[in-house]
Amino acid sequence: MKSLASTAAAPPANAVERGTPLASGIKTHLNRHFDLVVGAITLIAFFLAWQFARPLGIPGLSAVEPPTRVVAASWDLLSSATFWTACYKSALRILAGFALAQIIGVPIGLMMATNRMAFHTLFPITEILRPIPPVAWIPVAIIFWPTREMSTVFIVFLGAFWIVLLNTIGGASTIEESYKRAALSLGSSRWHLFRYIVLPATMPSIVTGMVVGMGISWEMVVAAEMIASDTGLGYLLWQSFEINAGAQVIVCMLAIGIAGFVSSALISRVGRLLTPWQGRR
Amino acid sequence: MAAPIPMSGPPGKAGGRPAAGWLPFLQAMLGISLFFLSWFLLVDVFAIWRFAQLPRLSVSLREMFSPNPTFGVSVFTQEYYDHLKASAGRVIFAFVLSVSAGVVIGILSGWNRWFRAVCQPLLELARPIPVLAWIPLVILVMPSRESSVIALTFLAAFFITVLNTMLGVRSIDEVYFRAAQSLGFSRWAVLRHVVIPGALPFIFVGLQIAMAACWFSLVASEIVSGTAGLGYKVWEAYYYVQFETMVIMILTLGVCGYISSAIIRRLGAYLMRWRGKTLGSVA
Amino acid sequence: MSRGALSFRAVRKVYDPERKAVLALDGIDLDIAPGEFCAIVGPSGCGKTTLLNAVAGFETVTAGTIQLDGRTLATPGESAAPGEDRIVVFQHGALFPWRSVMWNITCGPVMQGRMSAREANEHGMRLLARVGLKGCEDKYPNDLSGGQKRRVEIVRALVNDPSVLLLDEPFRALDALTKSVMQEYLLELLVQFPKTVFFITHDLEEAIFLGDKVVVFTSRPGRIKEVVTVDIPKPRSHEVLTSARFLELKAALSQVVHTEARRAFEAGEKEMAR
Repeated sequence: MKSLASTAAAPPANAVERGTPLASGIKTHLNRHFDLVVGAITLIAFFLAWQFARPLGIPGLSAVEPPTRVVAASWDLLSSATFWTACYKSALRILAGFALAQIIGVPIGLMMATNRMAFHTLFPITEILRPIPPVAWIPVAIIFWPTREMSTVFIVFLGAFWIVLLNTIGGASTIEESYKRAALSLGSSRWHLFRYIVLPATMPSIVTGMVVGMGISWEMVVAAEMIASDTGLGYLLWQSFEINAGAQVIVCMLAIGIAGFVSSALISRVGRLLTPWQGRR
Repeated sequence: MAAPIPMSGPPGKAGGRPAAGWLPFLQAMLGISLFFLSWFLLVDVFAIWRFAQLPRLSVSLREMFSPNPTFGVSVFTQEYYDHLKASAGRVIFAFVLSVSAGVVIGILSGWNRWFRAVCQPLLELARPIPVLAWIPLVILVMPSRESSVIALTFLAAFFITVLNTMLGVRSIDEVYFRAAQSLGFSRWAVLRHVVIPGALPFIFVGLQIAMAACWFSLVASEIVSGTAGLGYKVWEAYYYVQFETMVIMILTLGVCGYISSAIIRRLGAYLMRWRGKTLGSVA
Repeated sequence: MSRGALSFRAVRKVYDPERKAVLALDGIDLDIAPGEFCAIVGPSGCGKTTLLNAVAGFETVTAGTIQLDGRTLATPGESAAPGEDRIVVFQHGALFPWRSVMWNITCGPVMQGRMSAREANEHGMRLLARVGLKGCEDKYPNDLSGGQKRRVEIVRALVNDPSVLLLDEPFRALDALTKSVMQEYLLELLVQFPKTVFFITHDLEEAIFLGDKVVVFTSRPGRIKEVVTVDIPKPRSHEVLTSARFLELKAALSQVVHTEARRAFEAGEKEMAR
């Protein structure tokens, strides 16, 4: 949307035909790339401050390995098999936990949204269980599941599950009544009503749930691996910290960040495929 | 992370009247009892499969309300309240800090072009990294264990608050700014009477999510670096095979999470009375 | 009535998104006398709102001059900031939903320091009572009906005592019956508080009923196609709608308006097909 910019600092958006052509050309050019230029300067300043934090004695930042070291460490790490195995393990866990959350969460959500009895019976207990931070379930998961692998996947599942459930309920219970009536007057069966009205109308919220759920999945996989596993990126991160490899800690963080970013982008892509009628946002 | 969570209400059927009377309440009780009954049957009575490993419902409840519990922690012991106080204190402190910082930064970047151009790239750089992946770095940077737990709890809420506030400011319809300009509002009046109230709905959606994030970040950081607190005790109890204590702590965390988000919901509903009946109340 | 003479001289507006010059307004020459009600009719996208925004100070012009009582509002490279002398009532309404009705009405004069909160309150109360909204002062806008909101918004505009009132299809979202009542309210208010009015609408009947002068715009680029003076004496009531003179004017103008609407529609379809 339009921001306050037009009322505040920014010049009017249509400041085109004034002044000499050349001067105005430069001006509009600057205006158009204002964010880019200032942003680039900020980032450069930030990296310089980080690089020279130790000689400058900047508190906090000086405890962090400088970017040059991080780059060197990333070179070492990226060429090691350990790193790629860790990525693979984490990705598998995310995939499994996330898929389970969809497979279990979406149908339950749809059922709760379309059936009053189910809603009033199940919703209160979910309200009681949902506020428990998924991280607190880690020990329970370790006790319950036969393998560590299963407990990690379970924690990832649990993190994404609530958000998937809530979004599905929210989407399916706010469907425009007129769509249903239109479908019924066109002679839909119950199955058709579900397949062609309820499911697609809920899809945008399901997609929102997927995107948010993916973010939480990464939080959970990191926590579970750090606390209760001996493989994966989260474990590698924690291990780097324990052996005092500061630069490697940052490489792992960045790797997790990139992995999270890529998977979110993938999910958004999938979401767009699932809801082609929605305008591009 | 910043997507609004849908307001959960009863599903609408033909006009969306909520079912009145005792039935929903009885059904709620039915659902809740079903959960505890299955816990009781699977773990206490039949102890099938891995359920045999889990703490029993009867024992956990007895432990929870016992004046002198086997493992030293129940709702009648001082230790319980010490952990509760430690965690709640950290969450409140970190939440208040991150909300004040986050809302201010979010509003300034929605309001001022320079501020936004400076903040946005830094935020975009840090945002994709899960909060829990910050744990080791924060421990390295912060001087003490306590301060790193608080910093991590702060970070969890901070990004969410900033982003939602920025979204909130950007979501305000241009027409209100134009009206304010026509009516001769000063810049300060625009901030106070247009920007802040207009961004409030998004801010509060953000606060709900931020509060939940605070609690899970707190638990994770207490587990890895805490010396007290509910999360710390969950892990310690697990470590020393005091599973009933673990159950007590987990339940307490749930109650804390519930109460804190209920407070935010109430506050939001109060501050946004203007949304009117037609738009549906926030609660 | 000495305030509120609005004049447009050779006004031209080119939008330039991605270097594709789009001519929105071309050669607009128009004079609106103090206290005159000028209704602008034209198809969607003909630049009516652009022109209104240029008067209000939300847009610049590419060529030409807009003046209010001899003061230049807009000319290339220069535009007067929006202000309380030219209050806009927006198409979808712009009452601040998070503030009470009374706050909305009084904020302008209080913030400009023209009235004390007390004075403004009393003045607001009187005006609210006059439009039949007594007792609504502490409500939030969302608790009002569409017609009530529009009345509040017009009152908010009048409290500021503007030189010119800029109304951008204010009754568009209302149903036909509410709309006709609102039109009468507006005319009654203008008898008590005479103002120059710049009124945009799609609805020819509304334009003739309200206007002293009806200006028909062509489809894009917006040019003035026809200016007609409505010689039906004011005050007007709804009986006017069936009078011979009204029907005569309507018959004369509707062909013009329809032709332009059709052109705009076909141009739009071509654009869609591209």
